Amino acid sequence: MAATDDAEFASVDDLDEETEAAVQDLLFRLADDELVLAERYTEWQVRAPTLESDISLANIAQDELGHARLWYEVLTDFGYDETDLIWERDADDFQHSTLVEQPFEEGNWSDAIVRGYLYDVAEDAKLQALETSTFAPIRDRVGKVLGEEDYHLEFAENWLKRLAANDESRERIQAAVDRLYPYALTLFEPTNEDVEQTIVDEGLRGEDLVELRDTWHDRVSSFLESIGIEVPGLDLPDQYDVHSSPNDLPDKTGRDGDHTEHWAPLLDEMTEAYDELERDYATHIMDDE
Amino acid sequence: MIWEVFRQNQAGDYHTHCGNVHAPDREMALLFAEVQHGRRKPTNSLWVVPQDEIGEVDAEETKFGGTTDKSYRFARTYNVEPAAEEVEASEKELNQAERKRGDA
Repeated sequence: MAATDDAEFASVDDLDEETEAAVQDLLFRLADDELVLAERYTEWQVRAPTLESDISLANIAQDELGHARLWYEVLTDFGYDETDLIWERDADDFQHSTLVEQPFEEGNWSDAIVRGYLYDVAEDAKLQALETSTFAPIRDRVGKVLGEEDYHLEFAENWLKRLAANDESRERIQAAVDRLYPYALTLFEPTNEDVEQTIVDEGLRGEDLVELRDTWHDRVSSFLESIGIEVPGLDLPDQYDVHSSPNDLPDKTGRDGDHTEHWAPLLDEMTEAYDELERDYATHIMDDE
Repeated sequence: MIWEVFRQNQAGDYHTHCGNVHAPDREMALLFAEVQHGRRKPTNSLWVVPQDEIGEVDAEETKFGGTTDKSYRFARTYNVEPAAEEVEASEKELNQAERKRGDA
C-alpha cells in the first residue's frame, strides 16, 4: 500500500475496537450504496431510449460495481469474504440508502437520470471528504473512484439540460425530483450518532454528514434551479444534538438495515443464481488486481 | 443525427475512422463516443464529425491516380543493395497501382 506515511491508521491492525467498528460502518455504507445502485441500473439494459444511452448507463453501472468491489475488498481485511459480504448476507444487514433500492417507474428515463444525478453529486462530495481520511486503505482508493465520477456527472447533467428544454420532459424531471429527493436525503443519515461521532473525531472522513449534505444541497439546487426545476429546501428540526435529520426524511433510511419493501425482492433476484446452484463460494472469473 | 467517430491510439498517430454514434449534438456525441469507442481500445483522443459534413469522392466518379503509366511517382531507380525500406515500400505500391490499373 502506497503513501501511508502521514496516515494515523496504516492498516486494520492499528485500529482500536471502537474505531474499527466505525471504519467498517463507513465502508459498508459506501460499498452497499454502489452495489445496489449498479444492480438497479442494469434494469435499463436494452430499455434505454437509444443504444448509445444504453451502453453509457451500462458502463456507469460497471463503474459503480467496480467501486463497490474496491470498498468490499477493504472489508475483507476485517475477516469477511465475498459470500459474507454479498451472497449470503441477510437483507436487513445491508446499510445502503433507500434511494438506491427504489424501483424505477416503468419506462421513465427521467427517474434514472435524476437518481443518478442526486447520487453522483453526493458521491462526489463524500469522496472528496475521504481524500483526507486517516485510514490509509480508504484514502488510497479515493483517486481511482473519483477518476470515473466525472463522466457520471457529465452524463447526468447533459441529459438533464436537454430534457429540461422541453415542457413535458421537464415536468417528468420535476416529478422525479419530488419523489426521490426525500430518499436522497437518506444518503446523509448515520447508522447511529455514536458511530458518526467516532468517524468525525478520528478523521476517518474529513467532513461530517451535515456538512456533506449542505454541500450536496447547494450544488444540486443551484444546478437544478438553473434549468427550471424546483428543489425543496432543507427542512430541519429546531432542536438537535449531533446529527440533525431533516423533517421530510422517509420512514425508512436503510442505514440501520431498515429498508423499504423493494429491497428484499431485489436482493433475492440478485442472488437467485447463487441460491439455485446451491453455491457456498463466490465465483471469480478474473484475478483481483 | 449521426456523428462519425475517429479514434487516435496514442499522441502523434492519425485519427482513424472507427464507427459512428447517434446523438443530438456535439457534446452528447463526444460523451457517447467516449464509452462506445474509447472504452475497450487504447485511446488518446477522439474526434466526432457530423456525417453530413464529410465530403466524398469515390472510385466510380474518378480514376484515382489517373489511367496512364506514372511510374515516376514512385522511387524505383535507386541501385542500392539492399534497398532502403522506403524504396521497397514504394515499389510495392507501384506494383499494386499497376495491377489495379490492369497494366501488370
